[in-house]
Amino acid sequence: MLSVLILVPIISAIIIGFLPGKAVPASRIRLVALTLSGIVLLWNIFILLKFDITNPGMQFREYLPWNDTLGLSYQLGVDGLSILMLVLNSLLTWIAIYSSNKDIERPRLFYSMILLVSGGVAGAFLAENLLLFFLFYELELIPFYFLISIWGGEKRGYAGMKFLIYTAVSGAFILATFLGMVWLTGSTSFAFDAISTQKLSAGLQLLLLIGIILGFGIKIPLVPFHTWLPDAYVEASAPIAILLGGVLAKLGTYGLLRFGLGMFPQAWHVVAPTLAIWGAVSAIYGAVIAIAQTDIKRMVAYSSIGHMGYVLLASAASTSLALVGAVAQMVSHGIILAILFHLVGVVEAKVGTRELSKLNGLMSPIRGLPLISALLVLSGMASAGIPGLTGFIAEFIVFQASFSVFPLSTLLCVASSGLTAVYFVILLNRTCFGRLANDLAYYPKVLWSEKVPALILASLIIFLGIQPTWLVRWSETTTTAMIAAIPPVEKTVISEVALK
Amino acid sequence: MDFANLAAQLNAGTILPEGIVIVTLMGVLIVDLILGRTSSRWIGYLAIAGLLSAVVALYFQWDASNPIGFTGGFNGDDLSIVFRGIVALSAVVTILMSIRYVEQSGTALAEFIAILLTATLGGMFVSGASELVMIFISLETLSISSYLLTGYTKRDPRSNEAALKYLLIGASSTAVFLYGVSLLYGLSGGQTELNAIAHGIATANVGQSLGLVIALVFVIAGIGFKISAAPFHQWTPDVYEGAPTPVIAFLSVGSKAAGFALAIRLLVTVFPLVADEWRFVFTALAVLSMVLGNVVALAQTSMKRMLAYSSIAQAGFVMIGLIAGTDAGYASMIFYLLVYLFMNLCGFTCVILFSLRTGTDQIAEYSGLYQKDPLLTLGLSISLLSLGGIPPLAGFFGKIYLFWAGWQAGLYWLVLLGLVTSVVSIYYYIRVVKMMVVKEPQEMSDVIKNYPEIRWNLPGFRPLQVGLVVTLIATSIAGIFSNPLFTLANNSVANTSMLQTTKVVSTQASVISPEQPEGL
Repeated sequence: MLSVLILVPIISAIIIGFLPGKAVPASRIRLVALTLSGIVLLWNIFILLKFDITNPGMQFREYLPWNDTLGLSYQLGVDGLSILMLVLNSLLTWIAIYSSNKDIERPRLFYSMILLVSGGVAGAFLAENLLLFFLFYELELIPFYFLISIWGGEKRGYAGMKFLIYTAVSGAFILATFLGMVWLTGSTSFAFDAISTQKLSAGLQLLLLIGIILGFGIKIPLVPFHTWLPDAYVEASAPIAILLGGVLAKLGTYGLLRFGLGMFPQAWHVVAPTLAIWGAVSAIYGAVIAIAQTDIKRMVAYSSIGHMGYVLLASAASTSLALVGAVAQMVSHGIILAILFHLVGVVEAKVGTRELSKLNGLMSPIRGLPLISALLVLSGMASAGIPGLTGFIAEFIVFQASFSVFPLSTLLCVASSGLTAVYFVILLNRTCFGRLANDLAYYPKVLWSEKVPALILASLIIFLGIQPTWLVRWSETTTTAMIAAIPPVEKTVISEVALK
Repeated sequence: MDFANLAAQLNAGTILPEGIVIVTLMGVLIVDLILGRTSSRWIGYLAIAGLLSAVVALYFQWDASNPIGFTGGFNGDDLSIVFRGIVALSAVVTILMSIRYVEQSGTALAEFIAILLTATLGGMFVSGASELVMIFISLETLSISSYLLTGYTKRDPRSNEAALKYLLIGASSTAVFLYGVSLLYGLSGGQTELNAIAHGIATANVGQSLGLVIALVFVIAGIGFKISAAPFHQWTPDVYEGAPTPVIAFLSVGSKAAGFALAIRLLVTVFPLVADEWRFVFTALAVLSMVLGNVVALAQTSMKRMLAYSSIAQAGFVMIGLIAGTDAGYASMIFYLLVYLFMNLCGFTCVILFSLRTGTDQIAEYSGLYQKDPLLTLGLSISLLSLGGIPPLAGFFGKIYLFWAGWQAGLYWLVLLGLVTSVVSIYYYIRVVKMMVVKEPQEMSDVIKNYPEIRWNLPGFRPLQVGLVVTLIATSIAGIFSNPLFTLANNSVANTSMLQTTKVVSTQASVISPEQPEGL
């Protein structure tokens, strides 16, 4: 059942990539890709509907032996932590394909790479085996490199290579830690349930956890390791930026929750205060740098750093509510970033610039881009945490749950949420409001097909903002179970640390 | 000694695969003499048929009850069978590549194949040789043929220079090796058979004496030359650049596999008493090879030179398995060499194809290739990405197994270095892929603009295509469907009495010297 989510995209990627030119003309490829990813999306929603929210464990499990020598098995499962990520992944894949340019160059390679990425991400979220996770994690590497450096902007070569190297380094960290986890615990298999790190000494646990944090911190990205992000997000074309920010960044936070908190609960509490501060610093840093940008895509890119900081704060707090908030924040950030990147892409395509100094008066009803600007305002508000929209719900849960644990960091994050409002107001003010320059403003019409993805995402933002149960109900039992598994060991660690 | 007893001691059946190769070799030579140039159309296929039947013969010798042949001179155990198979298969693909290449250079194909088969023969005998003289002779057979092959395109000054360089360095390193071997003969009280030497050294109580260490170092100098481990690698970049490309395809896989086979057999059997020492030396070699190979490859502009440094680096990775010295370590070496066969030969096939069509092998000239030749682009991309260890290709599984085995054996720093240098290697492998795939049509190099129309029906192109497709498919799926290869590698180690018995010896040795290597 779950294999469909992995195999259909990957197999269709291979088929699209190798389809002979005569069989399907290049103009039809997009339709084929759209249909296939639509099927995957529907299947994903079907799984979501069948998902039993009272069950805290893995569901729809699948198991196939693969390679006993390496301890690698094809073992899949989905729980509250990953179910929404999967839906997000297939939704954003569909939207990315939908919103891609109709007459893009080399469509075969483009759609085949997008589908490959989609299948790989789904695999990483589903994997119940460390090595399988790593395999899918590294599978993103090359397709994304191509997607950035073939269909990107001016400096795409540089951005693509930077992304590649950072991600490869992150993979090296993760693999080293995984090898360490498995071998030091004396396990013979990489399967999740075969590994228990409880019996390791506190020092070793800490060392491995730091490996995990560094590895996934590059992907999230946390502040000193984030320098690939502005380049990659800005140089990538709109659909690719949607996938990068909406899906790939989630892989980092998901990895942190699953492997950091899930497998090192004792050591997690040692590093949690640092992580909370780190998250707060990330949030403030992202917001402050975004204020200074003059390019709207860059602003959105830095906003992503800030928002991922909240996820880190919530993970550090690691109460049951905070984890629900973390998952909610991951999902809402995915949706909001996707709509922002899509709208920015439309603006750039129609107006021809992303500079704040050149954009003006897009709100103008006849000659401007009124609907696009309205949606931009809506999504800017959602990103800044205005009530009634999904961003607020997620941030509020995060702050409420984290405040009792790390008050200072939470306050800093609240402050950065305020700063987010600042730069979005700047952005909206310079782009949507004001007067259109008379000599420049002859913008092409926005087609319906370009509005549709934004409308879908916007209605999701509003719906989840008004009816937040649908955002949080999936992960509640799983996170409660995750936290419930921790307390007894937590006390022993604290006493151990106190003794030292 | 009656005849039956003698025949039993000779046990000549163990070298049946080599026998087939010899017959093929003779066949090739004689056919060439009788028919002359006209035979060149099918003589390559004759050689391939011979080599493949040798591989089949190897298959039937799997798990032979009595693998020792020639009164201890040759050991046909499963370990040797795997390595002989690798050498023979690499020769098969090399012939597929060289049919067109050699024809185009205006030299005789049959002579080339004859020398190549001799080298194969030498490599196969090295893999199973368990007696000093036998080792030396087969090693020389391999080396001398390799010198000849390197200088085969004799009108090309670069080929001449490469051959001279290879000859001078090769001959000196063989001399050093020979000196080490003669020391072993003396230390063990006049034994030449490997087990007898080990026994002789143990009873003569010269374990860990200076003489033994010197012999070890000299032997390692010879082995390091064959597997092009830094700092014995200096010949590699120059020879790779100058020699005909099919030849370096063979040198990078066949000759290297033979070197590793020799390393396992010689070091494990003869030097268990100084196991810590040779592990230490190989750790140094592995560190140097991984760092130097991967870092210097970054700065190369010629495809063949880049692959030369990459092969130095890959040797460094393989050495992790040797240093680990566990069953998993040896099995991971074998598995890696098997997949290395596919990916490296796939890469070299593409390089040959490109240089046949355009006459150059500069990396910059590959830019924009995807438009003119998608199959070549796909093949070279897949093989390079696999060499870089990208999932789910064969190289990824090979590296994972090496690192896994290394980590299990406690070689943490070595594995971490391997991981770091793998990241470095991704950079230079992807650079070529970028040239081919990412570049815009207007950034196409002049060579690509004038790229000839792709025709597979020219003489000698069909075998190239077959070799490319087969190795490409193997590179793509040998990782995902890796269980048979894993079983093969594990069984060949588990069924090899040499590795299993010496484990006991080495644990005894470790009892004698409680200083176990910590970490490195």
